[in-house]
Amino acid sequence: MQVTRRRFFRVCANGVAGSSLALMGFSPGEALAETRHFKLTRSTETRNTCPYCSVGCGILMYSLGDRSKNVRSRIIHIEGDPDHPVNRGTLCPKGAGLLDFVHSPNRLTHPEVREPGGKEWKRIGWDEAFDRITKLMKDDRDANFIAKTDDGLTVNRWLTTGFLAASASSNESGYVTHKVVRALGMTAFDNQARV
Amino acid sequence: MSSRILQPGEIEQPASAIPELRLPAVDVFDSRAARFRALAAGNTIGACLGFLAQVADAQQSILQAGSLPRVADAAQREQASRAGMPPLPAQGAARPPGWTRVFRSLLEDLSRQALPQKLSAQLAALMHSEDAWLDQQAANILAARHEQLDLAAAPLIAAALQVIWTAQAATLTPAEVGPILQRSLCPVCGSHPVASVVRIGAEVSGYRYLHCSLCNTEWHLVRVKCSNCESTKNIDYREIEGGAGAIKAECCGECRSYLKQFYQEKAPELDPVADDLASLTLDLLLDEQGFARSGTNLMLFQGTE
Repeated sequence: MQVTRRRFFRVCANGVAGSSLALMGFSPGEALAETRHFKLTRSTETRNTCPYCSVGCGILMYSLGDRSKNVRSRIIHIEGDPDHPVNRGTLCPKGAGLLDFVHSPNRLTHPEVREPGGKEWKRIGWDEAFDRITKLMKDDRDANFIAKTDDGLTVNRWLTTGFLAASASSNESGYVTHKVVRALGMTAFDNQARV
Repeated sequence: MSSRILQPGEIEQPASAIPELRLPAVDVFDSRAARFRALAAGNTIGACLGFLAQVADAQQSILQAGSLPRVADAAQREQASRAGMPPLPAQGAARPPGWTRVFRSLLEDLSRQALPQKLSAQLAALMHSEDAWLDQQAANILAARHEQLDLAAAPLIAAALQVIWTAQAATLTPAEVGPILQRSLCPVCGSHPVASVVRIGAEVSGYRYLHCSLCNTEWHLVRVKCSNCESTKNIDYREIEGGAGAIKAECCGECRSYLKQFYQEKAPELDPVADDLASLTLDLLLDEQGFARSGTNLMLFQGTE
């Protein structure tokens, strides 16, 4: 927190009762009494990045609720972030529809799998999903990993699996993704947020 | 049905860079008077807002009459600019010579209007106050020392100061003001903001500006950032339940202060000074929640508890 030359002014009932307004002959009584009839609501404006494409537009998400445990926050509006250097407050039609995407009843909220030859998607747990991905990756890598080229050069190559990472990732998650993927030997590697 | 095809140049282009500074318009007090009148109807402090509309009228007529004292001449502004200081400093220098003359003509203008009796008597008494005393009061107002003020006189003294600073601020160019090095105080005069406004219009659409309590200059500050401590964490917006969404208090959980934010999209005619006073209830409710106000409105001075 940076301390500035700004000073604070308390606006309270006692202060208003003895304020310039009262001393000039106007009555603050009604204004003070009125306060009892009102409540405050809380909302937030949160900066984020549009998840769709590699342009990486800045967005402002408006939500209701005070983030306390017994109140469920709800995003009520999304617009382009006017201060963002990429899009300056604008959004494309897909970005402008983000609110519906957030609240879509068809949104996938859990892992599903359609096994080879199967016709149906079936719901699985997160642990099961991670285990399955890990196992399949390891099987494929064990079967196809290239440790040496034909002329005897030591390499780290796993050419039968590729990796596509998401847009709207932070620098840090980009760094970690890169470390993991390259260490495994994958060369087919792309990132949607390749801007 | 025929539709007209817009030609290149007919649509106003967004600015290529964010306009950092919006210097005051010369009719600022005119629109403020109109806004005070519009808000007075149905407001619990409507009588006070009605009087402040008359004050704003008087401010406008003095501004238009011209020949106002200058806060700083070209050489002083140049020197301030080189040192990275505000060109028309509210603090540090003596008040512009002859400023009390402006104050007295403001009182004269007001005394010709229909006013409550108590107020007329106060104005008549103020007319005869000594220059030295007035100057001391003005110095305290400009330095935000509100403890030793004559509270009934302070808004009127401040009104005269607003005219002088606004008139000269309106003659500046953004280049003369220079780069804005810190954004919690006015880059033109170094005073506190009264509130902030999210503007509409092609050039400034969606940008948030802080509005100076003294010289009516507006300067840009990115959204969702505490205007006092510059934190971007723990910011939330509080408004009166069932409101139109035009007035929210930007509350900072880090320094426990707030500044009102007006959304021009929801209230196109808004004036930061008038709308701030007309939403006094919001201030009172925020005080109950333990937030301190970081904005100053020179038309309302609090009594010390």
